[in-house]
Amino acid sequence: MSQQRSSYAVGTGLFIVLGFAALAYLATQTSSVANVHQGASYSVDAHFTNIGQLKERAPVKIAGVRVGQVQSITLTPGQEVADVKLAIDKRYDAIPQDSVATIFTSGLLGDQYVGIEYGSSKQMVAAGGTLSRTKSSQPLEEMLGKFFGAGGVTDNIGGTYVVKADFTNVGTLSAGAPVKMAGVVIGSVQSVRADPVKLNAQVVLAIDKRYDTIPDDSSAAVFTSGLIGSQYVAIQPGGSPDALKDGDEMILTQSAMQLEDLIGKFLVNGSSSDKKDAGDGKSDTPAGKH
Amino acid sequence: MNARAPQHNNVVIQSLAQIGNCGLFLLTLLVAIPRSFRYVRETVRQLWFVGAMSLTIIMVCGLFIGMVLMLQLYNVLSIFGSTSASGMVVALAVYRELGPVVTALLFAGRAGTSITAEIGLMRATDQIDAMEMMAVDPIAYVATPRFLAGLIAMPLLCCVFCAMAIFGGHLVGVTWLGIDNGTFWSNMTAVVVVHTDIVNGVLFKSLVFGAVVSLIAVFQGFTTPPTSEGVAYATTRTVVASSIAILALDFVLTAFLM
Repeated sequence: MSQQRSSYAVGTGLFIVLGFAALAYLATQTSSVANVHQGASYSVDAHFTNIGQLKERAPVKIAGVRVGQVQSITLTPGQEVADVKLAIDKRYDAIPQDSVATIFTSGLLGDQYVGIEYGSSKQMVAAGGTLSRTKSSQPLEEMLGKFFGAGGVTDNIGGTYVVKADFTNVGTLSAGAPVKMAGVVIGSVQSVRADPVKLNAQVVLAIDKRYDTIPDDSSAAVFTSGLIGSQYVAIQPGGSPDALKDGDEMILTQSAMQLEDLIGKFLVNGSSSDKKDAGDGKSDTPAGKH
Repeated sequence: MNARAPQHNNVVIQSLAQIGNCGLFLLTLLVAIPRSFRYVRETVRQLWFVGAMSLTIIMVCGLFIGMVLMLQLYNVLSIFGSTSASGMVVALAVYRELGPVVTALLFAGRAGTSITAEIGLMRATDQIDAMEMMAVDPIAYVATPRFLAGLIAMPLLCCVFCAMAIFGGHLVGVTWLGIDNGTFWSNMTAVVVVHTDIVNGVLFKSLVFGAVVSLIAVFQGFTTPPTSEGVAYATTRTVVASSIAILALDFVLTAFLM
């Protein structure tokens, strides 16, 4: 009888130990940071100004192939760069010193990982060394801002001067929209209002004083950033020797395009450039060109 | 000890009386806990029976739950190109809901029924009455050790279940379907919080479920009519009442703990 009892006790003890072992496993392995065993690796530092959503143990990839993982992410107090330690498999020990470490996102909503693009240096990065060339994670807001063309309105550091332009149609252009030349923001739209006499839209552009040599026969056009982006005013420089001055009016303007026109233009342009770049059997491009 | 409900015809009144009797029985059990310390060996034996003997079914079921969950999630999440999140979803689903609930349902089927049948047969063969004649308190000797054993065993079983489910998910996700190992774990560790998921989810829920299932099992055993038909009926009732109680309580607990 006591023999039987002690076997119960042993079984119960084993059960309790197993239960607590499972609890410890759940609490340590799946909820806090724990080191997953990895093959022999060496660590390399990389400094990023913004790591985005990068997490510890995120993969490190070269040419899309996983070669290691992020060991730790630390921020030195007083510094504005994150110190990311990469543990890279010993087999891949020939990474050039000037390789670029970039934080990429897998897919649009996927996880972030560190991608290493090889440089051309003969010197290889040593264990404990630092990859000095990095590209930080692009915050989605910044990307969207760029996409919609509204992200980079300059603060009017050196003051602005005002130029007027008349459009027959401004589309959805609104005050505060950027004014761009060669794609760079040089000012913003101060006001958009209908002219009661000429029955068109009068747009007042506030342009940074630094850009005071814009020819006075330049044209202004209302463009859309991307297919669904917001609208902005693009200035296309002319050839006149005289520059625009405060209060001048731009004569040459191009109004906002209707969506139908825009899509038509987009389709034709897009396919023709496709043909030029790739030429991979996309022969069914529309013949019409602008 | 005769806690049998008086006969009523109305179903509502009958079930109300059942619940009331069950509550009173719980009080009797709790009061008897100090007295049952004399029979600590009996508690250990019950723990072995309801806990250690249930390990196999719990481990196998946990493994398969984790595996099938990962398989389903992988298929759905691959539409959105975010299969790397599936490990994290498996962990959260198992810790917060599936672990405690499925373990409790299995526990009710595996251990609850045998507790009810055993005590019911003790009643039917007058062993309970014989104990009272011998001045052995049947509540302290029969009921409380089983209740305590269920209370202790359930959280431990649930931990084992969850660990096996994670293992199953890892097996299918990482080993077979090729999700990145580091991403699997880092996503999981990034979202699982010890307090809300493991303490509140796994431990607290399974403790409550353990108490409820063993209370129902012991109560049904003690109040069974002393016939073979009555024992069969009581065993069925244990499973039905436990399942309903588990699922209803799960909703209430989740609402409170969220």
